Amino acid sequence: MADKPGDLVQGTLDMLILKTLALESMHGYGIAVRLEQLSKGVFRLNAGSLFVAFQRLQRAGLIRSEWKATENSRRAKYYALTEQGRKRLNNETREWGRQVAAIARILEAS
Amino acid sequence: MASGLRSLFRKEQVSQELDEELSGFLEMAAEEKMKQGMSRKDALRAVRLEEGTVEVAKEVVRSAGWEFFLETYWQDLRFAARMLRKNPGFTAVAVLTLAVGIGANTAIFSVVYAVLLRPLPYQNPGQLVTMFESNLQKGIKEAGCSYVDFTAWQEQNRTFSFIAGEAFHALTFTGRGEPSELATVVVTPQMFSILQTQALLGRTFSPEDGVRGAAPVVILSETLWLSRFGSDPKIIGSAITLDQRSFTIIGIMPAGFRVPFFTKQDIWIPLAQDPLFSGWIAQPPSPHWLPVIGRLKQGVSLAQAQADMDSVSSNLAKEFPAEDTGWTIRLTPLQQELVGDVRSALLVLLGAVGLVLLIGCANIANLLLARATSRAREMALRQALGAERGRIVRQLLTESAVLGLLGAIAGILLAFWCVHAITPFLPSGLAQFGAVRLDGWVLGFALALSLVSSLGFGLAPALLSGDAHLEANLREGAARSGEGGRRSRARNFLAASELALALVVVVAAGLLLRSFIILTSVNPGFNVEHILKARISLPRFQYSTPQQWTAFASELLDRIQAQPGLKDSANAAPLPLADGSINLPFSIADSPPLPPGTPNTADYVAVSPNYFRVMGIPLLHGRTFNSDDSPSGRRVALINETLAQFYFPNQNPLGKRLVFGFPPNTNVSREIVGVVGDVRDISLHQAPGPMMYVPFAQEPFWGADVVVKSALPPSSVVSSIRQAAWSIDKNLPLTDIASMPDVLESSVAQPRFRTWLIGLFGVLAALLAAAGIFGVISYSVSCRTQEIGIRVALGASSQTIRSMVLREGLKIAGAGLGAGSIAALGLVRFLKSQLFGVGAADPLTFFGAAALLVIVALAACYIPARRATRVDPMVALRHE
Repeated sequence: MADKPGDLVQGTLDMLILKTLALESMHGYGIAVRLEQLSKGVFRLNAGSLFVAFQRLQRAGLIRSEWKATENSRRAKYYALTEQGRKRLNNETREWGRQVAAIARILEAS
Repeated sequence: MASGLRSLFRKEQVSQELDEELSGFLEMAAEEKMKQGMSRKDALRAVRLEEGTVEVAKEVVRSAGWEFFLETYWQDLRFAARMLRKNPGFTAVAVLTLAVGIGANTAIFSVVYAVLLRPLPYQNPGQLVTMFESNLQKGIKEAGCSYVDFTAWQEQNRTFSFIAGEAFHALTFTGRGEPSELATVVVTPQMFSILQTQALLGRTFSPEDGVRGAAPVVILSETLWLSRFGSDPKIIGSAITLDQRSFTIIGIMPAGFRVPFFTKQDIWIPLAQDPLFSGWIAQPPSPHWLPVIGRLKQGVSLAQAQADMDSVSSNLAKEFPAEDTGWTIRLTPLQQELVGDVRSALLVLLGAVGLVLLIGCANIANLLLARATSRAREMALRQALGAERGRIVRQLLTESAVLGLLGAIAGILLAFWCVHAITPFLPSGLAQFGAVRLDGWVLGFALALSLVSSLGFGLAPALLSGDAHLEANLREGAARSGEGGRRSRARNFLAASELALALVVVVAAGLLLRSFIILTSVNPGFNVEHILKARISLPRFQYSTPQQWTAFASELLDRIQAQPGLKDSANAAPLPLADGSINLPFSIADSPPLPPGTPNTADYVAVSPNYFRVMGIPLLHGRTFNSDDSPSGRRVALINETLAQFYFPNQNPLGKRLVFGFPPNTNVSREIVGVVGDVRDISLHQAPGPMMYVPFAQEPFWGADVVVKSALPPSSVVSSIRQAAWSIDKNLPLTDIASMPDVLESSVAQPRFRTWLIGLFGVLAALLAAAGIFGVISYSVSCRTQEIGIRVALGASSQTIRSMVLREGLKIAGAGLGAGSIAALGLVRFLKSQLFGVGAADPLTFFGAAALLVIVALAACYIPARRATRVDPMVALRHE
C-alpha cells in the first residue's frame, strides 16, 4: 500500500503506468483499476498522485492524451503510449530485469 | 514545457479539463462501488474518503508543475501590491527612505566606480606605470626625471616596451580670431605608443617627430577641432600658429583622450618642439622635472620592473656621480598614482552613505515589525487554514522585495538627479577619470543594493512572524496581539542600532567639519581681500630673451599702475596657492656643508618690488626689493622666517649669501637683504616650508601672474589690465583671471566637497534615527494606553507620565550611543589622513555628536510623551 509515489521505488510508478498503457490506451480510472488488479491490491493509488504522474509523463513526451467516449458513453481522457514512451518502457524493463537479477544474485550469495 | 506554458496562460481551460477528468475519475470509482451494492450517496462518500475532494486532488496535481511556483509567486506579488496600496502612508515613508538611501549610495558609488574601479581608458591599463625619481638624502620624495636620465632609462631598461616623458605648457594660439592660450601637453613621441590610442583622423607622432630639428607638428583634440576648426577634415596638413611659430597639424585625437595627469588638454606637441627644450633642459645638469610613464612588457611584474630600474639607477649613479648620486626610481601603477589620496576620501564617503542606508533599512524593518504585530491575527488565520510557515515567510519577503524594488526605481531616478547636481562640484582633479555616470555597473549596484536591503529589513519581521502563538493570536484582540517580548526587544534593538550608526556618521561629519573650519581659518600668510590676479604668458618664439621678458613686465606694471586706483599692483611667478610651487636646491656660501640628510631645498618665487605690500606679507628684518634691484644691480634675495630660523638659528641672516637659481643659472650667489613672513604656497593644510624670493627684474619668466589690489569693481580692473597688455602687444591673451578669495576657496574645493557631502549624510542619519526612535516610542505608548490610563487614574501627574516615556526613549538612546561611541572610536582611524588640526578621537567632537543625537532623540520622543499625558483614564480603561 502506497499513498505517494515517493513510497514506491523512485520512478517505479512511471514505469508501471507505461506498462499498463503498453497494451491499449486507457483513461485515468482504468489505469488505477488495472494497476490495482495486476498488483493484486498491493498498489492502490489515489487520484492526486496518479494525475501528477500523468502530467509528468505527458510533459516528458512519453504519453499523449485524447478525449474519448467510454464504454458507458461518458467523456474521459484516454492516455496512450508515444513511440518515445514505448522505447523508454523497453529500456526500463530491461534495466529493471538486470537490476533485479543482480540484487537476487547478491542476496543468494550470502 | 509547452504544457506548462499552456497551463500558465490558459489557466481556465486547463483547470476545467482537470476538473472534468478528476470528477469523471471519482464518478467511475463511485459507480464501481454502487455495483457492489452501495447507495449512490454512500458510494460518493466512500470515494471522497478514499481519494480526498476534487479540489485537494487538483491542488496536488497543479502544485507539481513548475508553473505553479510562478503562479503562486504572481499571487504573492499581487497580494503584496494590494497590501502596500492599502497602507499608502507606510508605503510612502518606506519607499522615500529607501529612495534616499539607494539614491545617495548609487550616486556616490557612480563616483567611486568612475574613479577607483573603472579601468583607465587605455589598452591593458594594468601595464601602465608612472616612474618618479626621489632623493631621500636631499629630502625630495617625488620629482620628475631629468631629461638626461630619461634618455639613459630608455636605452638601459629591459622590462618596458616603451617609456615616455610629458610636460605641460600653455602655448599662445594666434591667427584665428582673438589670441588664446591652448592647454598643450608636450610629450616624447613614444607616449602614443604607450597609450595605444588611435588617432581619429591623420596620425600620431612617429619617432622622427621627436628628433631635434624635425619639422614642428601638432595633434589637436577633437573638442578643439570642433570648436575652432568646425570639424573640417581637410585641416590635416595645414598649419597653425603657436607662440608665433608655424606647426603642421598631423592628426586629431578622439574626444576624451588624455595623456595622464593633466586635466585640460587641447593639443599635443613633441618635446623636441617645446620652446624650452632647445635650451637648458636637455643639457646636464638637467633639472628633475619630467614625469615619465612606461608600459611594462607582456608578462613583466611591477617587482621585476622595479628591480630592473634599481639596477639602471645604480649604474647611472656610478657613471655620473655628480648628478645622479642618491637618486632612486620609484614605480607606481598609473591608476594608483592618479587616484592618490582621493581614494580614502571616497571610501569614507561610501562608508558613510552605506551607514545611512543601513539606518534607513533598520527604520523600515521597525515599521514592518510594528505592522507584523498588527497583522499577527491575519498570519495566525493563514496558518490555521493550512499555510506552511515557509509560504508565509516567502510572502512577507515578497512584500519587502516589492518595497525594495520601488525604492530602487525612485532611488535611481534620484541618483540621476544627484549625479547631475554633484558633477559641477566634483574636484576638477577627478575629471581625468572620465565622466561620472550611471552605467550598467552602477545600475546593477543599485539593484543589488535594493535586493540586499529588502532582505535586510524584511528578514527579521518575516522570521519573527512564524513563531506567533497560533491560538493566542487568534483569541487576542488585533491591536495588542502578537506583541510578544521578542518583537518589542527587536524593535528597541533596531532603534538603538540606528542611533549607534547615526553617531558614527555624525562623528565623522563632525570631525571633517571641524577640520574644514580649522583649515579655512588658517592664515595663508597673505591678504586676499580686494586682490585680483590674471596671467599673461609671452609667446616664447617672439619673446625669446630674458631681457624682453623683463622689459615687457616692467612696461606692463608701469601702464597698470598709471591708471587711477590700480597703484597697488605687482607680479609674481609663481603665485602662492594659485600656481603651485617651484622647489630649488640652495647652499649657504662660505659655510661648512650641511650634514648629510638635511634637506636643502626651498620654494622659489620671483616678484616685483610692490609684491609684499600688495599681498600684505610682513617684512620682519632688512628691506624688501626696490628699483635698484635691476638686471644690472647686485644679486639679492629675501628669505622667509622659516628659512631664517632653520638655517640661521641665533644668527643675523642679513648680509649672508645663498647660492641658488632657476636653471640654467643654478649657481648664482645672492645676498640676503631681508626676512619676510611665512606664506602657505602649496596648500592651506601644508605648513610653510623654507622660501626664497628674488627680484623679477633679475630673474624674469616669460609668464607671470599680475596681482592688483584695488577697491574698484573686478570687471573694470580686469579690463584695465587687458587694455594695458593689449596696448603693448595686441596678440596677448589674459588668462586665469580670478579673485584671490576665489583662489583660496578653490584650493580647498576637495575638502569642502567631501565635508558638505558627509555633513549631508550626517543630517540624514540623524533624521532617520530620530524617525526610528519616534516610531518605537509612539508604538510603545499606543500599546500602553491602558496602563497609562490606570496610572493617571491612580493619580500620576502628567509630569510623571511624560518623564516615564522620555526615560524609555533615553534608555534606548543611551544604549545606542554607548555602542555607537565604541564603533566610532574604532572606525575614525580611517579618517585620519583627511583630518586637519583635530585628532581622530577628538573628545569635543564625540561629546558634541552624542549630545546632538540625545537632543534629537529626546525631541523625537517628546511628541509621543505629550500624547501619553493626554490619555483620558476613562477612555483608556474602556479601551478593549
